[in-house]
Amino acid sequence: MKKSTKRMKLGGIAVAAAVAMSMTLGGTSASAANSNATIDIGTLHEVQNLDNTANGGAGLTEAFTGNVYEGLFKLSDTGKVENLLAKSYKVSNGGLTYTFNLRSNVQFHSGKTMTSADVKYSLQKVTATGSQSPQKSALSIISSIQTPNPSTVVVNLSSKSISLTYNLTYVWIVNSAIGDMTSTEDGTGPYKYTSWTRGATISLTRFDGYWGALAKNKVVVFHEFTDGTALNNALLSHAVDIITSEGNPDALAQFKNASFKITNGLSTNKQLIIFNDKVAPFNKALVRKAATSAIDKAKLLSSIWGDYGTVLSSVMTPIDPGYEDLSSLNPYDVSLAKSELAKAGYPKGLTFTLDTPNDDPHPAAAAFIQSSLAQIGITMKINIITTSQWFDKIYKKRDYTATIQNVLSGRNIGWYANPDFFWQYNNPRVTALVSQSESANSLGAQAQLLKRANKLIVADAASDWLYLYPLIVVSSSSLSGYPVNGINSQFFVYNITKN
Amino acid sequence: MTRKRRHSLPLIVGGTLVGFIALMALISIFWTPYSIQDMTGGRLGPLSSHHWLGTDKLGRDLLSRVMIGARIAIAVGFGSVLIGAILGVILGLVAGFAQRWVDESFSAMFDILIAFPTLLLAMLIVAARGASLTSAIIAIGIGMSAIVARLTRLLVKRVLAKDFITASRASGTSWARIIFIHILPNIWTTLIVTFALQFGFAGLTEASLSYLGLGAPPPNASWGSLLQEAQATVLTSPVAAIAPGVLLVCLVIGMNLVADGLRDVADPTLRRSR
Amino acid sequence: MKRSPMIKYILRRLMVLLISLYVASTSLFVLLRMLPGDPANALLTVGATPQQVAAARHTVGSDLPLYEQYFHWLRNLSSFHFGTSLIGNVPVGPEINSRLSVTVPLTLISFFVTITIAVPLGFIAAYKSKTWYGTILNSISQLGIAIPVFWVGVILILIFALRFMIFPAGGFPPTGWSDPGQAVRALVLPVATITLVMSASLTRYVRSATLDVLNSDYLRTSRSLGSSFMEAMWRHGIRNAASPVVSILGMELATTFIGAVVVESVFALPGLGSLLVQAIGQRDYPIIQGILFVSTMAVLVIGFLVDLAQRFIDPRMSKSLAGKNA
Repeated sequence: MKKSTKRMKLGGIAVAAAVAMSMTLGGTSASAANSNATIDIGTLHEVQNLDNTANGGAGLTEAFTGNVYEGLFKLSDTGKVENLLAKSYKVSNGGLTYTFNLRSNVQFHSGKTMTSADVKYSLQKVTATGSQSPQKSALSIISSIQTPNPSTVVVNLSSKSISLTYNLTYVWIVNSAIGDMTSTEDGTGPYKYTSWTRGATISLTRFDGYWGALAKNKVVVFHEFTDGTALNNALLSHAVDIITSEGNPDALAQFKNASFKITNGLSTNKQLIIFNDKVAPFNKALVRKAATSAIDKAKLLSSIWGDYGTVLSSVMTPIDPGYEDLSSLNPYDVSLAKSELAKAGYPKGLTFTLDTPNDDPHPAAAAFIQSSLAQIGITMKINIITTSQWFDKIYKKRDYTATIQNVLSGRNIGWYANPDFFWQYNNPRVTALVSQSESANSLGAQAQLLKRANKLIVADAASDWLYLYPLIVVSSSSLSGYPVNGINSQFFVYNITKN
Repeated sequence: MTRKRRHSLPLIVGGTLVGFIALMALISIFWTPYSIQDMTGGRLGPLSSHHWLGTDKLGRDLLSRVMIGARIAIAVGFGSVLIGAILGVILGLVAGFAQRWVDESFSAMFDILIAFPTLLLAMLIVAARGASLTSAIIAIGIGMSAIVARLTRLLVKRVLAKDFITASRASGTSWARIIFIHILPNIWTTLIVTFALQFGFAGLTEASLSYLGLGAPPPNASWGSLLQEAQATVLTSPVAAIAPGVLLVCLVIGMNLVADGLRDVADPTLRRSR
Repeated sequence: MKRSPMIKYILRRLMVLLISLYVASTSLFVLLRMLPGDPANALLTVGATPQQVAAARHTVGSDLPLYEQYFHWLRNLSSFHFGTSLIGNVPVGPEINSRLSVTVPLTLISFFVTITIAVPLGFIAAYKSKTWYGTILNSISQLGIAIPVFWVGVILILIFALRFMIFPAGGFPPTGWSDPGQAVRALVLPVATITLVMSASLTRYVRSATLDVLNSDYLRTSRSLGSSFMEAMWRHGIRNAASPVVSILGMELATTFIGAVVVESVFALPGLGSLLVQAIGQRDYPIIQGILFVSTMAVLVIGFLVDLAQRFIDPRMSKSLAGKNA
């Protein structure tokens, strides 16, 4: 696979709290682990710069979140929100005031001790004018921040937000004296950053002044690859110890032996068809439903991922709050699709153009969709464009009929509550339900509201969410202690040991 | 007699190879075993009586795809040679007549164009026009035009230095007439040989473009993109990598042999001396 | 007598070089800006708000009018300052330097290995063109130029990296040349790939250049006048054969410089070509322009050196080039 899954782009609006899911840590035994080992990690994710509020890229999240930088909270490999730099917190004032009690004796890599002023600075960095943080709009409900003493931060909200702590897992706590952090770092994590060659490697070294348990290895090097085959070869020849996300199921045959371990985990990376809900012919829900019912998602998934991955029926993945299987609403049924298309006023079929990003697996998926839609009389033209053009033409100008894309972050249902979003879906009932869910008093109530909203969206076939990528981690069998799920592109490395 | 036959051997072998591919391309216009949108073959199916070369990831018949690939290879060859020839010969003629700094600027321009591999040009053209077969052909054609121009310039200068040009000029012949009477007839054999060579290389360049994801978009895959796709599944279905690869090699070698043969036929001095 | 036209020639070439460089980079500047795709897009994610879209444009400066961008760029260039990457926010100069430390050795080693292999082979293929091994050499080189370069790379990896594990399958040590052993090992297979493909075509060029000489009248004349074959070849042949070969060599060297991108991609090398591909994808103008500036300069300098070498080999050319009628 060529450029593979490097791309897209998180940006979750955050709705909701975390739901646990089952997981296993890769490997168990650690008999003769070397605490001074160097772990070489191969990845297809790209690092653009070192600042996650300037869109450092999925590769940066992978390398830095939890390893170099830490938040007040962390999202565990099972998707649970856990306290990290916040020792405890208290909610008061009807859910509008959060008081965070910070962990003491936390040192930045530069040697400075972390205080509430640093936390305030870090939060403000996310909501600042030039911030590209995906959490910016979700955190814009913060109306003020007080620092009554060095270990206490008080955050006041303008409206209730049940997913505040989830959103804070994205926010790195940075030394307030850092200035421009696009090419340097000063965090509190178990590793210090040592060097970065753009497009090639990013190296971390264990930070011995870390406040918690020290990392179980000494040096971690992330090697960035643009070509999946080159990455596989690197693992086969032991140039790297582990692949964070294998993109090609057919390459796994060569790893099925005693020298390697393969785990099949969950990602939050989803493939979808986006209809422009305001432009003919997809301004009619019936046409969208017909197109959705004409595509055999299970066959598409197995064409691209073999036996891996999960078919989706809505924007939600199994770890999202309010998830349910809605595949019965738009089942794969060619004759149903034909009759829906006729009912919508297109008995003789129609013609449209699918703008297709040029990176894998989009061209192949487009070819599949093309022949699926041909069954019901829809002629689809494929227009191949680059990612940059995709943002201009589709995201900014909305000059498209339909397109395909993948989205890396979890919890995206909030996008349907925004009638101004680029797919231009406008359903006031969905908007109302989503905003009520955010000010719900319990996680259960939040999930119920989101469930209702999701059902409305699927009944309208607003977009066609095709499948959830698997997260296949392949490692040399001498490695253990690595994460097996790819939640929001995180990859915690501090427990990895090498025999 | 025997000698003559030996000399046209490259032409015969090359012509057969290229002819076979051209025939494949021609047939694919009217008929392929399966439609390119037919995905009923099963994922990475093996070779069978239904699918002679097996099927790809999406269940499409590989033989049909390879046949369409032949059509694309021929189209890339013709299209790019056409662009390369027209642009290249015109530029080369102009540069051939130019003097001093104009000439040197032209040469520098050709050098830059040649050194900026077609790949780079293709990247820019694809960025501007989107990935399509036409983009690839334009890029390869422009890249080729620099090579043709450079050669034409050299050939023109060589002819211009000859005495009969001076004589012709002295007798009042116009430059336009000189071009058509003296220059073109003297250089066209060499040019034709170059075009034949470049025809084959165009296919090779297209393969590299497709390898980097800059080639013809689906569903009409070129051999290059078939190779690129096959690289990911080379362990499970090696035929997918071998078939388009071998055909590509055949096309390039075939065109090389044709070029060799043409040179032998066209250049009597060489024929005599060998 | 002999020197002054030479100096004049060099000065003129230098002028042409500077002007070409300026024209090439300015047209590139305009061309790049004409491409659809805002560099700010690389900073966007799905879900970015309209304010974030505007902020991204401001960060990379694509909200400024074109002429302002142009003058800014010109000012930087005049002080040999390539600017700062729009996306990575790192200075372009050091970035290119670090890539050159991979690409330059890769190109030069491949180049010299190729010459060492291809020149003798081409000569043998021509001199022994009527024997069976001459034919075999010719067929092999025929095959060599027809195989796509990435195929050669993939096959070498399969054999030497995955099967026998003698050399790494790809990548470059993150510490660069501070561990020369590792760095050299990382370059062995990429060099072999380029060498194999380049040798095939160079062998053919040398072969045909040598054949031309072997069939030439002056060689026959010289031999009929009693020179031994080697003597005649040395006196006339090499000089005549070298001239076209040198110009091909220059061209191949210049092409490989950027053209190594496919090999860099197969072997995951952090070279200039892969940086360029990435930068074009992101519309990171300062990096694209920096790389193209450096490589244009390299091409022109190589072209210049080739010319000088040809004058050295064949003084007749200098007369014709420096004279009025080229």
